[in-house]
Amino acid sequence: MRVALAEDGALFREGLLMLLQAAGHEVVGCTADGDSLVALLATQPADVAILDIRMPPEPDGGLVTAERLRAAHPDMGLLFLSHYAESHYLMRILQIGTDSIGYRLKEKVGSVDVLTDTLTRIESGEIVIEPTLAKRLVERPRGDKKGVIATLSERELDVLRLMAEGRSNTGIAAQLFVTPKAVEKHIANIFGKLNLHADTAEHHRRVLAVLTYLRSQRDEE
Amino acid sequence: MMLEPAQCAGDAPRTHAPRTPNDPHSPLPDHSPPPDHTTRLPAPARDARLRAEREQWQRRRRLERQLHDGAALRISALSLQLGLFRHRVPEAEPDLHASIDGLQDELHAVLQELRDVAGKIYPPLLDEAGLGPALREAADRVETPVRVVAPDDRFGPAAEGAAYFAVTECLEAATAASPGLDVVVRRDGAVLAVDVVGVELRHADAMLDAVRRLGGTIDVAGGPDAGTITARLPCE
Repeated sequence: MRVALAEDGALFREGLLMLLQAAGHEVVGCTADGDSLVALLATQPADVAILDIRMPPEPDGGLVTAERLRAAHPDMGLLFLSHYAESHYLMRILQIGTDSIGYRLKEKVGSVDVLTDTLTRIESGEIVIEPTLAKRLVERPRGDKKGVIATLSERELDVLRLMAEGRSNTGIAAQLFVTPKAVEKHIANIFGKLNLHADTAEHHRRVLAVLTYLRSQRDEE
Repeated sequence: MMLEPAQCAGDAPRTHAPRTPNDPHSPLPDHSPPPDHTTRLPAPARDARLRAEREQWQRRRRLERQLHDGAALRISALSLQLGLFRHRVPEAEPDLHASIDGLQDELHAVLQELRDVAGKIYPPLLDEAGLGPALREAADRVETPVRVVAPDDRFGPAAEGAAYFAVTECLEAATAASPGLDVVVRRDGAVLAVDVVGVELRHADAMLDAVRRLGGTIDVAGGPDAGTITARLPCE
């Protein structure tokens, strides 16, 4: 995979560069700020751009840079890395795009397997969300959603958590060692209990519906 | 000989240290006359105290950034280097792989602890996004349902910091039985006002502690148990 990278911390940038190369990816560019990355990618194609959220242009250069990249190269995947996994940033990221996009903690991409899995899922169009954040969203939803979540079975909670990580039905099935058909059934039950319309078969729309549901307050913000 | 915790190797022998008779750790009482040939500085004026207090909040914000840009980033980079190392160790060394995984898990735990400390010094989300997002994130961590209404307006690091910690202390102290709280943030000229609605009024004293050093005030309405506490802080 062709990957470009912008991160202002030199130590972390070098470490990630070496790990990407060890994983067999081609690093087409490596910069210390967002503007240089935008300039570089104007002439150099890449499959996924990896962006630090808190980098120049300050204060959250990763987000501004991502908006420009998404406009210029709609098919390029975007992976945000941060020292913090916060739902505030997740929602801002999902405003930039709801497909081929990811948000992970910096230290959690520290293995060839996880890094490649994350990049592959983004390249194939999925949303990838840091599992600890997905777990927190499901376990502590906003407002009066806690009562509804409490009505879910343990298996349905597992499915909801993996959905909140952005995993596809086949991805969820593989994680839980069940068939995709069984996952479909669980999702239908979950959407029924949450009173959400599963009217679209599009995967990322459903992920978005679930995330929006978990994060909305008693009345909309 | 048992050493007291306060006395470490290299300290001057304690018999020479000046102590008051009652509590060996307390400084000299404020009202004792200054020793001969010395001049005691006058207590700082109110403006100077407020300025010093505002600087404290700036300092806290810088400390959080230092943790983020320094220690945290170094440890994250270490985690990546360990991942690279693991990749280079032959597959035939499962014990070594397990040890490296264990080390990575330890580093992740250290980072989590650093994040917890940083959040108590000055929440990074408060710095970057303001009171609304920071209070909503804090509300997510407590059992009680909390609704936050806040403008995108910014009020300066001191007022925002003091208001944030005043409110989160209330949220954390709220009992699970509480039917829910509303937190309303608004600007009233050069004053940041925060209403906590539906809160037990016994938290008012703690909130006053949190805001008074910045010249803030607390108003209480309703009661006798639950009501509205309003904090007002001069702001930027």
